[in-house]
Formats: sequence, C-alpha cells, structure tokens
Amino acid sequence: MLASLLQVFSTGLGLAGYYALVAVGFALIFATLRIFHVAHGTVFIIGGYVFFGLHRLLGVNIFVSAIAGVACAGLAGLAIDKVVYAPVLRRGGGMFSVFIASLGAALVVEAGFLAWTKGVVSVARTGMLDIFIVGDVAFRALDFSIFALVAAAFGALYLWLYRTSSGLEVRGLTDNADLAAVVGVDVRRTRNSIFLVASLLAGLAGVLTAYDTGLVPSIGFKMLFIGVVAVILGGVRNILLGTIIGATCLGLLTAFAGFFFPEWITFTIFLIMIVLIIFRPQGILG
Amino acid sequence: MTSGNSGLRIDRLAMNFGGVFVFEDVSIEIPPGKVTACIGPNGAGKTTIINIVCGVFPPKAGDIFVDGVRLTGVRPFDTVRYGLCRSFQDVRIFPFLTAIENVLVAMPDQSGEGLAGLFLPRARAQERTNRDHARRLLQAVALESAAERPAGELPFGQQKLLSLLRAVATGARVLLLDEPATGVENDLIPRVVDLIRDLVKAEGRATFLVEHNIDLVRQVADQVCVLQGGRIIAAGDVRRVLDDEIVIREYLGQVYDA
Amino acid sequence: MEHLFYLGTLIAVWIIVALAANLVIGYTGMMAMGQAAYLGVGAYVAATLNILLGVNFYVALLVASIASAVIAAVTLLPLLRIGGFYFALATLGVNFVFFDIFHNLGPRVEGSEGLYGLQLPGPFAFSGPRFATTLAIAIVCVLLCQRVVASPLGRALRATRDRPDALAALGKDPRRYQMIIWTLAGALTGLAGGLYAATLFYIDPTLFTLDASILILVYIGVGGLASTAGSVLGVILLIAFNESLRFVGLPSQFVGPLQQAMYGLLLIGLMIFRRRGLVGEYDFRE
Repeated sequence: MLASLLQVFSTGLGLAGYYALVAVGFALIFATLRIFHVAHGTVFIIGGYVFFGLHRLLGVNIFVSAIAGVACAGLAGLAIDKVVYAPVLRRGGGMFSVFIASLGAALVVEAGFLAWTKGVVSVARTGMLDIFIVGDVAFRALDFSIFALVAAAFGALYLWLYRTSSGLEVRGLTDNADLAAVVGVDVRRTRNSIFLVASLLAGLAGVLTAYDTGLVPSIGFKMLFIGVVAVILGGVRNILLGTIIGATCLGLLTAFAGFFFPEWITFTIFLIMIVLIIFRPQGILG
Repeated sequence: MTSGNSGLRIDRLAMNFGGVFVFEDVSIEIPPGKVTACIGPNGAGKTTIINIVCGVFPPKAGDIFVDGVRLTGVRPFDTVRYGLCRSFQDVRIFPFLTAIENVLVAMPDQSGEGLAGLFLPRARAQERTNRDHARRLLQAVALESAAERPAGELPFGQQKLLSLLRAVATGARVLLLDEPATGVENDLIPRVVDLIRDLVKAEGRATFLVEHNIDLVRQVADQVCVLQGGRIIAAGDVRRVLDDEIVIREYLGQVYDA
Repeated sequence: MEHLFYLGTLIAVWIIVALAANLVIGYTGMMAMGQAAYLGVGAYVAATLNILLGVNFYVALLVASIASAVIAAVTLLPLLRIGGFYFALATLGVNFVFFDIFHNLGPRVEGSEGLYGLQLPGPFAFSGPRFATTLAIAIVCVLLCQRVVASPLGRALRATRDRPDALAALGKDPRRYQMIIWTLAGALTGLAGGLYAATLFYIDPTLFTLDASILILVYIGVGGLASTAGSVLGVILLIAFNESLRFVGLPSQFVGPLQQAMYGLLLIGLMIFRRRGLVGEYDFRE
C-alpha cells in the first residue's frame, strides 16, 4: 500500500510539472488580458508535434528539435492572438466572443493534427527510458530532467516577473488593466510578451510530453481543462504560487485517480471544478 | 400590493461604504399624491438613498416604511410586491425589446408568463388589455410612433421616457425616480413634466424624485429636501426651500441648469 | 433513398435540439455549453427502458423527456447564482461529468461500447415512416417554440437576457424565468435524445461529448440566435453541407478532421463578422 502511494506521489509530482507549465501560462493570459485562451492547449500540442516531427521523423538533433518546438509554440500563441483574437476584439466582441473564437481556433488546429497523425499516438523518444527502482517504487531518470527543467522555467519566470521592468508591467496589468494603461504601460507590447512567454511555457510542456508519453491531438484540450481547474484551484491572486499549488494538487489527484479509479478521472476533475466555481471561484489562495 | 396608501417614510437613515461616510440622520416623508424631490450636489448620496430603499444594499442604520410596513433590507425584486418601484439614472431599458414590449414586460401578474398560462384563453385576454394600456401610456408621452422599434435604437432622451413609463406600468404606489430629466433633450422635458403630473400625481401615487434640474423640480414638486454634507440641510414646501437664502448660497449657486 | 430518409430524420432530431438550445442561449442569454449531457440523458433513459425493460417506446420517450427535464432543473439549481462566464464553464463541466456517468454506469450490450436493439413500434420501425413521424414531432416542437417566444413568457425571457437587474427592479425574478426555460429545454432535448436513439439504432457515450455541445452552438450560431427559423436553417444547412463533403472524394480519415476544421472556422468567422448569424435577432455584445 505504501509503495503504491509513493508511486502515486512520484507520478503525481511528475504530472504536476506539466500541468504547472500549462496552467501558469493560461493564468497569465487570463489574469492580465481577460482572455479565456482555450487554444492554449493547441499551442501545447504544436510544440510537441514540431518536436516529434523534427526529432523522430526527420532525425534532427534532440536539443535543436526541442528548441524549435518551443519556439514554434511561442510564435503560434502570438499568431493566434493577432489573427483570431484581435479581429474579434476590434469588432466589439467581448470575453465570450473571444472564448468561442478561441474554441474555433483550437478545433481547426486539432483537426489538422488529427488528419496528419490519423489519431495514432506520436512518441518523440527514440530509445527506452532509464528506470531505476528504489524499494517498490520505480523512478525514471527522465523525471529528474523534467523536474529540473520545470524548476528552471519557473525560476526564469519568477525572475522575469519580479526583477524586470516588463515583468513589472505584466504584474501591473494583473492588478488593474485600465489603471496600468493610464500610467503608461505599453499594453500592446506587454500583451505580446505575455502571449509569447505563456506559449513558450506551454510549448516546453508539449515537447516534454511528446518525449515522455507521446501525444494524441485530443491531449491539447485535456491539458487545457486541467490547467483551468488548476488555476481556479490556486486562484489568480499570486499567479506563480497559486498555479504551482493548484497544479500539484491536480497532479497528485490525477495520479491517485489513475491508480485507483481511472474510469472516474474526468468526472472527479470536473466535479471539483464545478464545486469550486460555485463556492470559491477565487481559489484557495484568492 | 399593499392595500393601504400612506406613502413612503424614510426614518433616520445612515450609510457609509467601508468607513467612507455618506450620510446620517436622513428622514424624509413621501406622502401619496405628492411629488417629493431631493436635490444636492453630486456624490451627496441621493442615488444611495434610492438604492437602500429598493433593497440593493441595507443601511447602516435607520428604517424604511411603506404604508406602515417595515421594508428595510427587502430584496430588490420583492420591493415591487410591496408597492415600490424605481427608475435608473442610466436608464437600463431592454435594448432588444421594442418600446411597447419594454412597457408590457413591466406589468405585473401576467398569467402568460408561466408555462401553464401559455395556453389559457385568459392569458390572451389579459395580453390584449395590457397592450391597450401600454399604448395609452406611450401616447401620453408622444412615443406611440416608436412603439415597435427596438428600444436600443431610440435616442437617449426617449429611452429615459420609456424607463419612466416602465416604472409607472408596474402599478407601484410609490415611485422613486432617479434623475428623470438628466440627459433628456430640452424639448422633451415637458413630456417628463406631463408624465409625472398627469399619470403619477393624478393617480395618487407617492413620488420621490432625485434631480439636478431645478426648473423641473419647481414645476412638478410639492416639497423638496436638500441633501448636502451628509445630512438634510433643508426640507419643506418647494417654493419656500428653493427661495431660502442659505440653500441658494450653499447649493443653488453652484448648480447649472440642465 | 433509405439514406435520404435517415438524413432527414437526423435533421429533424437536431432541429429539436437546436430549438431548445436557442431558447436557452439566444432568447434567455444563458451560456449553455453542455446541452449534449441532456441529449444523452434522454437517449440513455429511452434506450434503457425500451431495450432492457421492454417498455413501450412511446412511454420510454415520454419518461426520457421528463427525466431529462428533471435532471436539467436539478443541475441548474446550484448554478443559478453564478454569472455569465463561470456559468458557461460550469455547464461545460456538467457535460464532462455526465460523459463519465454514461461511460461507467450506462448499460451496454456485451462486448461493445454501446447500446442497441430498440424495439420500435410501427411509425418508427422503418426509415420512411420514422422520418415522417420524427418530422411531425419536430414541427410540433417548432410551433411550441413559436408560441413560447411570442408570449409574455418570451418577452420576460428576452428581458432576462438583456438586463436581468432591470427586470428584478420591476419586481420579476430573472432566475424564475431561467429555471422555467432551462427545464423546458431539458424536456425537448431529452425527447430529441430518445428520437436520436431510434434514428441511430445504436448509442454510446461518445455521441454526447463536448464536441456535440459545440456542434449545437455552431448550428444556432450559424442559423441565428433568438430565431426559430435560425435554429431550423442552421441545422439543415450544416448537415447538408456536411453530407456533401463526403462526395468530395477525400479518403475517409480526412472527412472527420475536415468537418471539424470547418466548424472551427465557422465559429471564428461568426465571432469576427456576424455574431448574430444568418437570421438571428440577437447580437451579443459580451
């Protein structure tokens, strides 16, 4: 029993890493720009599929492929904002219109990947994973790399948000967008940085997932919704800390559920989301 | 709707928002058949009085009585049941409903508003009566030509008139009108006067009016109170108060006629 | 010919679903993103009663409709207090929650994912009469909706949509109207669910996912919000267009993704250029 729980714990923390990368990007965009970026999940899979295409199909060096994947994701996020959201907003659309448009964009991109991969799981890794066993619990060498990468990413994000002037402008937008614009924050430039940074993080998560368990197109939506629940759980008061806490809770929960009642994972996650929305939409930390 | 008709009584109302003082010891009598106006500088709290009376938020102290029934803290949509109805400063008409529909939707006790009533012949008869009533209301302010136009397309002044009609259509014995003339073009203001005088006073309703337009107040109000600096500094017959030196100095001197 | 009857029956079924959705979304302004859940409830209740308990199909249809209405009311109750955007998310959550319920608790035929074997009475037993009967039911639903929309109730619904606060100030509780119309829509959608089961002759949980709810949005979005004609038009146009894609000559694995991409593009296009759809009466500014 203890071994199973430890295994759940270890798996859960691994998942939490991915969830946190996706969730924090989503939270940044939502908190600062009030955009419910459903297509964030597609940015995730774009990163992963570019990585897969380059590394697995074309044999390009792993680091180059990974960087290319992350970069493409970053650009894709920016593109979606410019091509889809900006026109909607310009024509007087509000939050809900942008949400529907985002949904549309996600459907289009997902359809593209569905057609390309025919729904088969695409794993970017070419070799086997190194696994070592401690007692009854199996750890993977990959998990340490992921942990290090996620920690580094969050560290860099923290530095950007709290130690740079552009990060300060982003935090200003989180608190009060109108006031920030009045005070002279260049909203358009900050908007671009927000989308870029959020999408790079999602792209990183996509690359890692493609390497680890592989991708199917539908995982984009799945990661997005988990990200949403993580953000609702953690609240947007303190974006970094909140999403880390939310993602960790969800990572542990999905790992636990995956072990003991896998058929009810979706049910559990969304029930939690509904309950949170009804009773505490500002999250645990809000 | 309560059967009595002693009007609205505001008793020693006090309000602050998280420590920001608004007013205290505000007592106003709003008797039926008369128009009671409230004037004062912007931000004095006149709309807050209406909000409290209509249950948007409770007062920090004091009470509201309608026909002797204590109504403090009643929820907004219940207040009409007790005979109160308000209009909004920023109008809030239903933009995608036509003008006549805006008036119709305000009328109470429509059996056609429930699923069961949908098929009853009584509902159809009621709807016909209501339509006639609504049309007459629109005619009274010369708006019947706009009856079938979506209210969102009407100019602001007409929307304001429509929102007043809406409040009247509820049949409430006590009306609270928040700046009914603000934003209304000068040539439409006589219609506001007509509405308040004919439809409201003639039917014996108690009317509380918050206004900046002193001319309008002079034309329709019977009594007026002045809210300034967090308290009522003058109250009574409209001519006496408006001619009072203190009031003229403190407040009227700063007012631009709308 | 057989296939044309099938298509026609499908159109009739989806018209009922679209009418119900438009009542709730277009006329009352409630952002319902999970209507497929109630469609599934209707389908599963009708199918279970008829196949497993041998209940007469007409009775099964009636019970399915009532069950769906009750479940709709019950699921709305806790959500009445939350507004616009979070409400949309919560209905989405309900859709996923019910998916797992159908998947884990829904009866199925041995060895397959779904349920089949409906015992259909005369008017439903063969494709021709089935089309005529379903069409007749759809026409009755259209007339019912017209009646509701033109009535004082319809007026109150639109007022609820436009400015619920102003309606409350007039002495009418907007939540009462929301509950009435949501329940009615639930009944109609449940009825459609039972008819859907009869048309497909086979149901499984994958028919009632978020994709189906999005499809409903596309139907009424294209046809037009707050318009009975719009609900009918959207369904006919899109199902017909969808069918025509099968003749373009693409390999079958591309047809699905192509349809999905088309829906995505339609949603984006609608949000940018014409939020009120083809013949809609309501252009939401949210």
